[in-house]
Amino acid sequence: MRSVLRLFAVVALAWWSAACGERGGATRLTFSGSALGPEATVVRRQLARFAERYPGVDVELRVTPDAADQRHQLYVQWLNARAPEPDVLQLDVIWTAEFAGAGWILPLEPFGLDADDFIPAALAASRWRGTLYAVPWFVDLGLLYWRTDLLDAPPRSLSDLGDAARRVQSAGRTRFGLVWQGARYEGLVTVFVEHLSAFGGGILDAAGRVIVDEPPAVRALTFMRDAIGRDGFVPSSVLTWREEQARFVFQNGDAAFMRNWPYAWALLQDRSRSRVANRFAVAPFPAGEGGRPAAALGGAQLAVNAWSANPTLAWELVRFLTAPEQMLERARLAAQLPSRRSLYATDALAEALPIPVAQVRQMIDAAVARPVTPVYSELSEMLQVRLHRALSGQQTPAAALREAAREIRALLARSGLAAEDQTP
Amino acid sequence: MIRQARAIEREERRLARWLVAPALVFILLGSFVPIAATGWEALHGHDLRLPWLGRPFVGLANFVEATGDLRFRSALLHTVTFAVITVPLELALGLALALIMHTAVHGRALIRLAALLPWAVPTVVAALVWRFMFDAQAGIISAPLLTFGAVGESFDWFVHPLAAWVPIGAADIWKTTPFVAILLLAGLQTIDPALHEAARMDGARAVRRFATITLPLLRPALIVAAAFRMLDALRLFDVAYVLTGGGPGTATEPLSLYAFIALMQHLRFGYGSALSVTVFLLTFGFALIWVRALGRPAVGDRM
Amino acid sequence: MKFFGPGAVAVAAGALLALLLFPIYWMITSSVTPESRLFQSPPLLPATLSLEHYRALFDERDFLIPIRNSLIVAAATTMVVLPVSALCAYALARLRFRGRGVLLALILAVSMFPQISIVPPLYLILRELRLLDTYPGLVLPYVTFSAPLAVWLLTAFFRQLSPELEEAAMLDGASRVRVLWDVVAPLAAPGVATAAILTFLYCWNEFLFALSFTLGPDRYTVPVAVTLFRGRYQVPWGQVLAATVVATIPVALVVLFCQRRIVAGLTAGATKG
Repeated sequence: MRSVLRLFAVVALAWWSAACGERGGATRLTFSGSALGPEATVVRRQLARFAERYPGVDVELRVTPDAADQRHQLYVQWLNARAPEPDVLQLDVIWTAEFAGAGWILPLEPFGLDADDFIPAALAASRWRGTLYAVPWFVDLGLLYWRTDLLDAPPRSLSDLGDAARRVQSAGRTRFGLVWQGARYEGLVTVFVEHLSAFGGGILDAAGRVIVDEPPAVRALTFMRDAIGRDGFVPSSVLTWREEQARFVFQNGDAAFMRNWPYAWALLQDRSRSRVANRFAVAPFPAGEGGRPAAALGGAQLAVNAWSANPTLAWELVRFLTAPEQMLERARLAAQLPSRRSLYATDALAEALPIPVAQVRQMIDAAVARPVTPVYSELSEMLQVRLHRALSGQQTPAAALREAAREIRALLARSGLAAEDQTP
Repeated sequence: MIRQARAIEREERRLARWLVAPALVFILLGSFVPIAATGWEALHGHDLRLPWLGRPFVGLANFVEATGDLRFRSALLHTVTFAVITVPLELALGLALALIMHTAVHGRALIRLAALLPWAVPTVVAALVWRFMFDAQAGIISAPLLTFGAVGESFDWFVHPLAAWVPIGAADIWKTTPFVAILLLAGLQTIDPALHEAARMDGARAVRRFATITLPLLRPALIVAAAFRMLDALRLFDVAYVLTGGGPGTATEPLSLYAFIALMQHLRFGYGSALSVTVFLLTFGFALIWVRALGRPAVGDRM
Repeated sequence: MKFFGPGAVAVAAGALLALLLFPIYWMITSSVTPESRLFQSPPLLPATLSLEHYRALFDERDFLIPIRNSLIVAAATTMVVLPVSALCAYALARLRFRGRGVLLALILAVSMFPQISIVPPLYLILRELRLLDTYPGLVLPYVTFSAPLAVWLLTAFFRQLSPELEEAAMLDGASRVRVLWDVVAPLAAPGVATAAILTFLYCWNEFLFALSFTLGPDRYTVPVAVTLFRGRYQVPWGQVLAATVVATIPVALVVLFCQRRIVAGLTAGATKG
């Protein structure tokens, strides 16, 4: 009996010490985000600087999976469980509304932020129901890479793009005219968003109504399908491609145009691997009839965990990381575009960024956000399925979009998010 | 004297109440209250990511949704099919193992040890080891099949919707057959050897003795073992989660796994609870039918 | 009772032994094979012995943390389960009281509950009490699910004990409580030990609750930690297998030293009770 009691005491002690082991000592702040390659260097360096500035504060980097869907799943698990850590989270632009709606991240208005300087489209994606929940950290933009050795100027319209692509391809100078990301994943939606904007359409309008089955959207999807089928300047294999496959093709000199993100720039300039180094430039995706040039907006934002034990300190970290100096360092080391507009007028950024700033500025004015809604991931999945069916010829564009719109309306209604005049 | 006996009896009753209370509290608080709460939750619309919808009472709407949900229907089919196929195999193999353990003259301790190890190993460990053995590149199982040309160069167990069930079944059978064998061995040991002796005197062959003496007398043990295994198989989770994650697609997704995903990944607690309730009803329904039809003398009395 | 000749039995026994033990043998062999060899057509005998995976397991992954977590949870659970179920089992075995049948039915029913069916409310309650990702949050469901088995086999155990000693003590004027402490407790040790073994095994192996109620490596138990090892593109098989070996060692030791007791406990729990 006595030995049992002794065992009990040992376990109780171990339990207690394990529970206490984490507390005490310095205040701990945890940050979670991408920590791969150059991004990791930047983050670690900046977190260390922050810790120097606030003595008695330990800042810890919590490494999370780099694949977006895996990190999303992990965040959902943590935040839904009301875990107080990580205090500061790096969010994809398309997650902010979801996390804000669920009450997992803090509204930032009380902290006071001079929001005027941020790129409007990025700022719009940080708001939910008029309240700011995140601060744009860096932006990603869908760019049209074009070959300066094959063409004199970027296409001025969508029909220009088609003509040029066909011309170069049929002259036998490249295997393909244009390549983009057409696999059934989020990337396909960003490509679609650029085509939509080019034709003056959208997925949801400003009032939150579903407009993805209206004529401009049908024209946009028809253009994409015909580019693969009838016109033949986009290879049908794009339907299985993500970013990297498109990059390999363009890098080998096999395409006149490529739709991709800024990360590809530095890799394409690497002479040891790329055949197109110094023979390309970037432009916004050109407008078609009734639309405007477009660059789909991606990128990351910083938010504060609603259950953080130190929200004020966490906010200080957000403010520190989104300050101009840190953004410039990030641009220099990881080639990620700052989310502050004023930086684009500075020489410092021109020196830091590998991409010519003049070309980037143009694109920033053309930035288009994807729908800002808490059910974005479901909405996107519905769209992906239907887009893919239309592009692979299993459905007409009009029918596919009609179906997608019907499903999305039902989703919004079920979630209590439908615009008032569209409640079924 | 009688009064004294009554007093003792009363005292015993009071004592019994105190002795039983802690266990009863744990069992009620830890399982009956939660299961009732799950049932109640299943009647509500509750999505933790959409807090503005609140938690409205929706009656049987979640169950109605499930009947139209193809993923639910195939998960239900997977669960039942899996149980119906693996449990008889486990019983047959378990019986063989039990007979060997019973008959073996040498090495009984070794056989018992060999049988207990798979039973005691954590289920996820069993699943991981079998996952490794069935691996397309490193797998010890694919290699000889490849040599004999039974499968193609690019064959991968986990990519084929039906083939992916083979590792799941193998891991489950390997892990649980020993448990069946131990139960049946206990049953075998209660059979009086004199019966066999007498039958042999009468000239009955082994097969006949097995059919007329062993099997009938082993019936209670078989019924109990089958019940345990069925209940376990109907709530299959660990092996499927670890081995295939329900894939490819949702081709190997059992009901418990789908419920887990609806709860912990989609955060649809109302709908996920409805799915959990179905798992509960499935096992409970089976248990009721089983006890009614066969088990009463075996399980009922002895309890 | 002989069905087969001794030769046939030996062959069958050998084959079965091989089938049962091969996966464990293979797990151990592969865990000491260097990663580069792991993906070649593997030889049945290890050519080289490398402890690289084990080193990585403890140096890079800090596998001691899940082991510590599992041990703490298992020990705490066992300590709650044993006294609670021993008392209950004694009452069931020896005392007459109303509701005895109902109680037995309840205990039987709990052992049939699918774990998933109590996950949703338990998660919500633990979240409200801020007990997710803590030891008590795991001990609570573990106690509930391992108590029935313990009660069951202890009831069987107490019934086997001869009541004479207790009766004699009571005739001497000792109260039931006194008898329970002085006479029954020492006799109960073997039964309680069996219950402790089975409870420990249950906690060490449990997966679904641990997966649902822990959030990160600080509180993962061994089964969850092993399962979530997978990398993004590739499974680090060497380390995974080393971890499975480590997870198996305590279990194997328990089985090795307590096999008779386990068999007795299992059969008591299943067929008698």
